[in-house]
Amino acid sequence: MQIDITHRPGNSAAKVSLQAGESITAEGGAMIAMSGHMQVETTTHKKGEGSVLGALKRMVTGESFFINHFTPAGAPGEVFFGTALSGDMMEYNLNGPGLMVQGGSYVASAPTVNMDIQWQGFGKALFSGESMFLIHLSGSGPVILNSFGAVYPIQVNGDYIVDTGHIVAFEESLTYEVSKVGKSWISSFLGGEGLVCKFRGQGTVWCQSHNAGSFGTALGPSLKPR
Amino acid sequence: MQTTIEGGSAFAYINVDLDPGETIIAEADAMSSMAADLDMDAKLNGGFFNGLAKAFLGGESLFVNHFTNNTNAARRVTLVQGTPGNTRAVQLNGQEYCLQPGAYIASTPGVTLGVKWAGFKSWFAREGLFKLSVSGTGTVWYGAYGGLLEKEVNGEYIVDTSHLVAYEPQMKLNIQLAGGLFSSLFGGEGFVTRLEGKGKIIVQTRSLSGLADWINPRLW
Repeated sequence: MQIDITHRPGNSAAKVSLQAGESITAEGGAMIAMSGHMQVETTTHKKGEGSVLGALKRMVTGESFFINHFTPAGAPGEVFFGTALSGDMMEYNLNGPGLMVQGGSYVASAPTVNMDIQWQGFGKALFSGESMFLIHLSGSGPVILNSFGAVYPIQVNGDYIVDTGHIVAFEESLTYEVSKVGKSWISSFLGGEGLVCKFRGQGTVWCQSHNAGSFGTALGPSLKPR
Repeated sequence: MQTTIEGGSAFAYINVDLDPGETIIAEADAMSSMAADLDMDAKLNGGFFNGLAKAFLGGESLFVNHFTNNTNAARRVTLVQGTPGNTRAVQLNGQEYCLQPGAYIASTPGVTLGVKWAGFKSWFAREGLFKLSVSGTGTVWYGAYGGLLEKEVNGEYIVDTSHLVAYEPQMKLNIQLAGGLFSSLFGGEGFVTRLEGKGKIIVQTRSLSGLADWINPRLW
């Protein structure tokens, strides 16, 4: 499997070249183009293990109910993935510790990658402004993620603050808590930052440069009511 | 202080590396990530009445955030505007610079933000009744939706409404029809802004109101 991400960072697409019989799993609706002999199988869970519960759990993260498995039959083939919002994509090779992915940022992964949903707890869910659930990826193999805006990695060693709405994914060696910015809660709210996520430990967190919610707030008032 | 603008013209964002003791000021909610040991203080955007004026008239936030590095090593804060688009920096050495409401992102402490009456002409041009004026000594970062074109004007120049982002204060703004009555009404251009003078102007290649006008007929 060969993954090439093109048109970064504004209008990224991921081109996945597959050998005959090799598969890639992607979120429903992510495919934008593919070889004519590509076989598509739609399931509710990992290939070969249908699970409605798994699909329902995935839905609460903001992902689609169904996922698609792409396999070229008889000869090598390719498939392109894209997302609804313009922005960046990244490839991550899972090998060892798992990856926590913000709901909505998952695009595709190799069949050797396991996907599970993790509940963030009421406190984080209510206050972080992020989804109540995160996607937990484990196993080994490549993963494709997307973002609104450019993706930039931060190597955390100790504490680091990421504003809510800017998290794409983080290594599970990191923990986070919902917190204030700086020393004072008043400052944090008056300054429009409100609650932020404070990461702790050692590992990488990938941030998206832009906040889709802020863009929605800027554009929303100019749109007519439905 | 080292700063870089990353992300290309579509998704520009600003990495600011603050040396010990340094401060940067940014509009509310501009911070996307930062070192946890930087201090952040929300302060009124230049006094109570001035802050109120900027919030209600200048399209800016009532409070701005001061990020200060009180540690003894360099620390990073990453800042971004609310919409996708490009970001530019302008260096001020005592001169004034005019920004459209909402364009301001961040500045160094020597820069003062003020609100000035822009006139009804500006309002007709969908640029707002007031303009933001930045002055002092230091750097100001501003941005808009879309790419940013720089144009050296000497004489007259015409910019479509809601596309002007920044201009030097000596430029005079006037509103007029794009062409004759027929072409203005049916050619899709409507009103335009006529700039007069000698100086630099910054134009955004897209506009949020243009995007909204495109989406609205498609909502049902």
